[in-house]
Amino acid sequence: MNRLLRAFFRPTQKITATGVYTILVIAAAAMVLLGWFLPWFVGPFSEGVGFSPQDAISTAPTGIGTILLYVTGVCMLIVLLSPFVEFTLRARHRALDVRWDMVRAAASVVGLVLTVVVWILVRWINEEPLFGALPNGITTDSAVWLEMYGFGLAAITYGLKRLVLERPNVMFVVGVLPFGVLLPLMFHQAPAFVLWATQSLAIYMLLGLGLNVVVGFAGLLDLGYAAFFAIGGYACASLASPIHGVHISLWMLIFIGAAIAATFGAILGAPTLRLRGDYLAIVTLGFGEIIPDLATNNVFGLTGGPNGISGIDKPVVGSVNFGFNPQWFYWSLLFFSVVVVIMLLNMQRARIGRAWVALREDEVAAAATGINTTTTKLLAFAIGASVSGLAGAFYGAIVSIVSPDDFQFAVSIAVLSIIVLGGIGNISGVILGAFVLTFVIFWALPNLQEWSATLGHTFNVPAISGIDFTRYTFILYGAALIIMMLFRPAGLLPSRARKVELESGIESESLAAVQGRA
Amino acid sequence: MTALLELDSVTKQFGGLLAVSSVSFSIGEREIISMIGPNGAGKTTAFNCVTGLFPLTRGDIRLDGHSLGGLPPHRILRLGIARTFQNIRLFSYMTAVDNVMVGAHWWMKARVWDGALTTPRSRREEHAVEQRALELLDLLGLANYAGNYARELPYGLQRRLEIARALATRPRLLLLDEPAAGLNPQEKNELMALIARLRGEGLTVFLIEHDMRVVMGISDRIVVLDHGEKIAEGSPAEVRENPRVVEAYLGSGASQEMRSA
Ligand SMILES: Nc1ncnc2c1ncn2[C@@H]1O[C@H](COP(=O)(O)OP(=O)(O)OP(=O)(O)O)[C@@H](O)[C@H]1O
Ligand SMILES: [Mg+2]
Repeated sequence: MNRLLRAFFRPTQKITATGVYTILVIAAAAMVLLGWFLPWFVGPFSEGVGFSPQDAISTAPTGIGTILLYVTGVCMLIVLLSPFVEFTLRARHRALDVRWDMVRAAASVVGLVLTVVVWILVRWINEEPLFGALPNGITTDSAVWLEMYGFGLAAITYGLKRLVLERPNVMFVVGVLPFGVLLPLMFHQAPAFVLWATQSLAIYMLLGLGLNVVVGFAGLLDLGYAAFFAIGGYACASLASPIHGVHISLWMLIFIGAAIAATFGAILGAPTLRLRGDYLAIVTLGFGEIIPDLATNNVFGLTGGPNGISGIDKPVVGSVNFGFNPQWFYWSLLFFSVVVVIMLLNMQRARIGRAWVALREDEVAAAATGINTTTTKLLAFAIGASVSGLAGAFYGAIVSIVSPDDFQFAVSIAVLSIIVLGGIGNISGVILGAFVLTFVIFWALPNLQEWSATLGHTFNVPAISGIDFTRYTFILYGAALIIMMLFRPAGLLPSRARKVELESGIESESLAAVQGRA
Repeated sequence: MTALLELDSVTKQFGGLLAVSSVSFSIGEREIISMIGPNGAGKTTAFNCVTGLFPLTRGDIRLDGHSLGGLPPHRILRLGIARTFQNIRLFSYMTAVDNVMVGAHWWMKARVWDGALTTPRSRREEHAVEQRALELLDLLGLANYAGNYARELPYGLQRRLEIARALATRPRLLLLDEPAAGLNPQEKNELMALIARLRGEGLTVFLIEHDMRVVMGISDRIVVLDHGEKIAEGSPAEVRENPRVVEAYLGSGASQEMRSA
């Protein structure tokens, strides 16, 4: 058990270049495909019925403008199928011809240009003579955006393949950050999706980054991370709501929340200093259970009991009230995530980061090399917790109410799944894990019902539309996790180190155990 | 010669087993002193007591006359006692240069926020420490492995990397636990030259070693342990002729080796 856990939670430092390349290739293909068929899933992504390339083709298969779409379709097929060709070849230890990379890059550029052209024709120029009358005559902007982003990403990935393999982290940022920034604009017709991106994706990404400091960098398995999220969330909620009549600005509160959570991180970390692995996990699990319980019991009359604290203030900046413009919450969170990522990357490369990794690799040797294991562990707990305090401050402001239910064990597990799935210790992996997992849990699963209904309706198979997915949500979630871990046990973006580690597995003992004090 | 390190009736008991039993001796400044003894004699245990990994059952250990009793390992290291381990304990998934830089951790000045914000102070210090680490790697013939994970290094080089890491802590006293184990004759010669050189630069070296050629070749003094007790102490020549030592080693094959060394 212990050995297995340790193998799973052995973090990474170096990230494999092919990992990032693979992720970008898959992301590009997925976006292009999704963009092409998006209106089929239109409900969850957009309020209005609209247009996608596939739609236009079905409406006017012989229109003049439709020729452009057929060419786009060929480009899409190239982008879509080439990963399969490449990965099959790689499985046989053969490399793809370099010229083929140029073909793929060229197809991506053509696809991108044609998508833009068609969009302009349909949206701003009368499309009737070219495509016939499209349903409602409006575009589903998200479909076109996805199509463009997918082709653009493919063009960069294939065209600059060398660069992607040499500077994977930089290219990961180049490929992913614009999507992050543009997301609320791309999906402006789907407020629900923007809300998901804000209160699930962005919040959980911060939580993943924080927990990664504790578990990934310092190697301390924490199963009760939601406790710090709760402390940050409650602290800020009580300082910006009618409950105590205090109203402090969110921009102050995020620092206050981070400081309070950090303090509690150190306090709750202290009793665990001598523990490792499974023992540490059990104790932190306990904290994760106690904190929401205290909140439910309205401890010191501060937490509002089972109903929590409601009516939390919305920040107003200039003429923008965040309450009516959730995308500003999203952008603020994204901004702070970037700041946090930069600071964590700096720390990882600096004195403290080395001390954390040394601690994780061999606590006894670290102590015998002059590292104060106590302060180093407490710093990991405190800094990890401070990030969740920041997330907690935003969370209350976004959803207007915090209650004990928001901080249950499932939250700790979801955050842990994010970093395990993404690639422990690797910040790009955590970001990717946050995206994939929150998409699955908070978007795909709740919307499965609607998608299957559309699918069944489109193909006229009532059996598909009849499935009641709400009953199977957690089974599907579990199955998805198992499948992903079976196929990529080291995470989506693993490192060379982690892969070797999973094959060998190393025991590391605690200093206290060696000294006979544990 | 003033004593740098003094062991005063050091005793370590594990349950009913007296691993180290009332051992006393002292180590002078700039001395090379070896501890020998059959397997299980308690040598490594004595090292663990000195470096604070094991609390003493009885007795006291003093550095410059100040007791080390009850100090945690990192405090003892900061007083100037660094060590290597018999069963190599490197940070496996850190690069060689990072392993050595961990040794510099305690005397580096950059605070956590310096690191987080990459302040000029942190950047300058990181750069200087990295240069120093590379020099140490070079000194130990590891210059070509700076960017490799510690676990990727061959065994003999891992031993040297441990020494480089220990040296980065700026020690006054270096404890080496069987540094020659698993090395070929050529590497052993290099090791002896290195130890002599370190002493020349002012370091005191205290080593545990089974290889008699190494022990007899470089030690000023030798302490012999058997079943946790000190049974002899003296110059290589004295120890070689000591009947109790010969008896302790009888049948272990090492006695032959000791005479011929
Ligand atoms: N942590 C421990 N708990 C219990 N017994 C121990 C512990 N460490 C060492 N011992 C016992 O103490 C005795 C001395 O062990 P030690 O490792 O000090 O021997 P050594 O002289 O270094 O031997 P070697 O030459 O094989 O390295 C042995 O009998 C060993 O089993
Ligand atoms: Mg030993």
